[in-house]
Amino acid sequence: MNRSSIARKLLLAALLLLVLAAFAMPLFSMLLTAMREAKSVGKPLLEPGHVPSAAQLGANVKEVWTGRAADFPLFLHNSLFVAGLSVLGMVVSSSIVAYGFSRLRWRGRDALFILVLATLMIPFPILMAPLYLVFKQLGWIGTFLPLWVPAWFGGTFSIFLLRQFFLSIPRELDDAARIDGCSEFGVFTRIILPIAAPAIAVVALLQFVASWNDFLAPLLFLNHEETYTLALGLHMYQSQHGGTPWNLVMTAALLIILPVVFVFILAQRAIIGSVATQGLNE
Amino acid sequence: MATARLHPTLRGLTWVSPWLLGFGLFMLLPITLSAWYSLTDYSLLDRPIYVGLENYRELLHDSVAHAALKNSAIFTLATVGVGTLLSLALALLLEQRLPGSEFVRAIVFLPTLVPVIAAALLWMWALNTETGSVNTILRTLHLPTPDWLGTPTGAMASIVLVSLWGIGTFVVTYAAAIRGVPVSLYEAACIDGAGPFRRLTTITLPIISPTIAFNLVMSIIWSLQAFAVPLVMTRGGPANATTTFALYVYQNAFVFGRMGYACALAWVQFLFTLVLVAGVLWASRRAVYHRGA
Amino acid sequence: MIGGTAPQSSASDAQGVAIDTDVSRRSALTLLAAGAAGWALWPYAPRSRRDIPKGRKVVTYWEKWTGPEGDAIQQVVDDFNASQSRLWVHRVPVNDQDSKALVAIGGGDPPDIAGLYSYSVPQYAETGAAIPLADLGLKPDPSAYAPGVWQMLTHQGRQWAGVNTCYTIALYYNRSHFREAGLDPDKPPRTIDEFNDAAQRLTIKGPAGEITRAGFVHTLPWWWPYMWPSLFGADLYDSATNRSLFDSPACVRAFEWIGSWPTRMGREALATYISAFGRSFNGAEDPFLTGRVSMVATGPWIANFARTYAPTLDYAAVAVPVSSEIFDAARPIGLLECDVLMIPRGSPNPEAAMEFLLYTQQPRVQEQLATAHCKSSPMTAVSPAFMSSHPNRAVAVHDQIAKSSRAVVLPRCRSWKQYAILTQRAFDNVWLGANAKAELTAVNSRVQSLLDREADLRQRRGA
Repeated sequence: MNRSSIARKLLLAALLLLVLAAFAMPLFSMLLTAMREAKSVGKPLLEPGHVPSAAQLGANVKEVWTGRAADFPLFLHNSLFVAGLSVLGMVVSSSIVAYGFSRLRWRGRDALFILVLATLMIPFPILMAPLYLVFKQLGWIGTFLPLWVPAWFGGTFSIFLLRQFFLSIPRELDDAARIDGCSEFGVFTRIILPIAAPAIAVVALLQFVASWNDFLAPLLFLNHEETYTLALGLHMYQSQHGGTPWNLVMTAALLIILPVVFVFILAQRAIIGSVATQGLNE
Repeated sequence: MATARLHPTLRGLTWVSPWLLGFGLFMLLPITLSAWYSLTDYSLLDRPIYVGLENYRELLHDSVAHAALKNSAIFTLATVGVGTLLSLALALLLEQRLPGSEFVRAIVFLPTLVPVIAAALLWMWALNTETGSVNTILRTLHLPTPDWLGTPTGAMASIVLVSLWGIGTFVVTYAAAIRGVPVSLYEAACIDGAGPFRRLTTITLPIISPTIAFNLVMSIIWSLQAFAVPLVMTRGGPANATTTFALYVYQNAFVFGRMGYACALAWVQFLFTLVLVAGVLWASRRAVYHRGA
Repeated sequence: MIGGTAPQSSASDAQGVAIDTDVSRRSALTLLAAGAAGWALWPYAPRSRRDIPKGRKVVTYWEKWTGPEGDAIQQVVDDFNASQSRLWVHRVPVNDQDSKALVAIGGGDPPDIAGLYSYSVPQYAETGAAIPLADLGLKPDPSAYAPGVWQMLTHQGRQWAGVNTCYTIALYYNRSHFREAGLDPDKPPRTIDEFNDAAQRLTIKGPAGEITRAGFVHTLPWWWPYMWPSLFGADLYDSATNRSLFDSPACVRAFEWIGSWPTRMGREALATYISAFGRSFNGAEDPFLTGRVSMVATGPWIANFARTYAPTLDYAAVAVPVSSEIFDAARPIGLLECDVLMIPRGSPNPEAAMEFLLYTQQPRVQEQLATAHCKSSPMTAVSPAFMSSHPNRAVAVHDQIAKSSRAVVLPRCRSWKQYAILTQRAFDNVWLGANAKAELTAVNSRVQSLLDREADLRQRRGA
């Protein structure tokens, strides 16, 4: 190890640290603010009487959770309900569709798959207004239906991911099963799905995160506070006439981000790994 | 599902029917309706009235729409330009395999999982002129502390900053692509006496160019349709500086109640997106390396 | 990466798809998922609905107020609920009222009754978003309301809304600052020239030219960019001819006056000074209440906040100064706006909503609300006790403006919201140094095209 390579390594390490600090900073700031009282917000961190404390965090959480300004337990209930149905639908529909695009050979299959990918190019604003009108005709505005029903028709990324995975499973397995008289659906449920369980788990996790974080659909389709999900509830909480104190807003934000962070910690490699592949196979 | 007896194409279509149905209902139908409504005046409460191309004619004279287009262009250029360079740089840094790289990679990726509303609020707080962490840091370094959300340029910089916070997906894909470059190529280059910069430009970048092209397209598409962050952080202000085109579409549809005009605006946006993407794809024909036909 | 030791997780490494989930993580996730599913399916009743007595018909009421103003309207709601046993009004605080309500009505999912702003009435009336009150049995009584207020409750000859407090904009000034600057606190400025002079003298600058106290700043608060033209005698809209008048000479003069302000105060110094306030109005950090601005054009609620946050502040109010040619002490000019109650089309319980609306239109209830909000009463008949024991020392000023024949009512056109946003744009640009005439002409032509479009479509619809 010569001097210049040590120097180079140190420089890179310093850059790495800088990157870490830059990306983690807003989250850190949120945590610190959530640990302070309303009157301490904005004062220097270490000023006596205004130091952030875990006890204050507990008090803030209690205020946010039980406060009259917003019914967060209700929002949590709503978010979980929508997320649950959303995940279920996405997993079921995407695996069926991905199977059709990977394990079966038929004319037009690959051309249609290109169309599936092409739908990524459709900007949401062009769908926004007419989708609203479609849902209005169906009488679904104000209900949860517009939030989870579309997941039951498959999602581009999930289909892509599962198709990738299915393609890698050796064909001998299904051929063997078919020879034994198994129907196509049987092959799907008994052979492919069990092997693909990890990939399906990733799809489920990512769909959970997507549904949990969804802000636009609730914003457009939900009207009454009793139906709000967490994302929309946070928005409402923050933009109250008169302004909500920042320490409480940050506490609420912390509560909403926490489950996602938790999920991430548990399945980090899987999530990052599957996201990384999407760019490789264009 | 005893589909074995069906003609293969029919069978395949049956399996992918959920997606086909969804595509029809939630994409094809709205797009067609959107085209029809763009030719009408529709306020959501009245019945639609056919006005022909008047919405499009109005668009040509609508200074706010023009300003919104300009804002979207600036935002997209900044986000995609800086974002691509930054994510490539970060990916390269992470692939140096220094200890702790995997942890940093996780932290860089984490913001993409944060709900957009929370991200907007976090940054609203961090960019607060008096008490935000960004200005506190700048103040201790004796650097100027701009009024981020209160000035037109500052506000635009703010929403670009929030978008850049979310480049984790791109960093991760670039890192994976870089990892996929055969080491033998680097070894051969070293033997030929090529320095790190030469290796970067003649080996790494060309080989990962398909990923770069793909990410460019995805980030352009995404930037052009983003409006949640400006909606929550700056409400399109100050002085309409952060009213991106997508936000203007939203305002027309759901705030002013002009659905017909909003659909016309959305079609214009769609056209722009297609043109830009086609441009990138055409340019990439020559610049992108195709590994084996 | 191959992961897992359990037989099921034979994850293969295919083309870079890395699946790594070992048993303990998977069981943790499964546990989490089970817990989440449990909470999701638990029949959770909204907290707000739990205290509604059984057997009553629930009337959902969307209202914008929170804090002390919210408490005041809640008191009215509580009184109504206690006064009878068939209905229960359930107040829900909502922000972004007018667009939210419009979307909800359009989507077929509206509240029973909604508290909106007076400028929403033309839009709701013309699009049929609200139910005309006569259709629900109301007999219109114009004489009950101040003339300006009545104008705002009606559109095209029909009454669409009930009033729910009104307010006018007046100039609040800090009397101790006046004394310090050598001005007579009992003789506040009445004309623009006097005003410019006073603002200059009230501004204090530090050694480096930085502002330590501002006399007046148009952007603190910045909520009524369309108010300034009226001070120069300019109208914004002529309903008879459906023409917008934003580029009239008087209007241009108003905006030139606005544009001159940063130069007058020192552009850089003023920008730095303003940026320190963020969005802290009507609270502990309010610029007027903390003595950092000597004069402010605002509504009567400031007295409410002064009670809480600056009880010892020595202040008074007067009608906003106008240009000397049009000054008339007996007929003050001031922006008059009111909050209104409308019953949306598709309201689940319109008759019940109507009952509540009628309750709120009693002068007694309006006075109760106005007292709590520190505002003047919108009704013509005012009890003597109301004025004499009112918590806002400047209530007489507000009342005089509200009942003045020159009270300024905003344009009653459907596109007002867009017009307002464009005036904000013009204001911001002029404040930053753009040419007033050019800005106003540009805005005016855009607004005129919107109005022409509106008129054309009105014809086509046969309205």
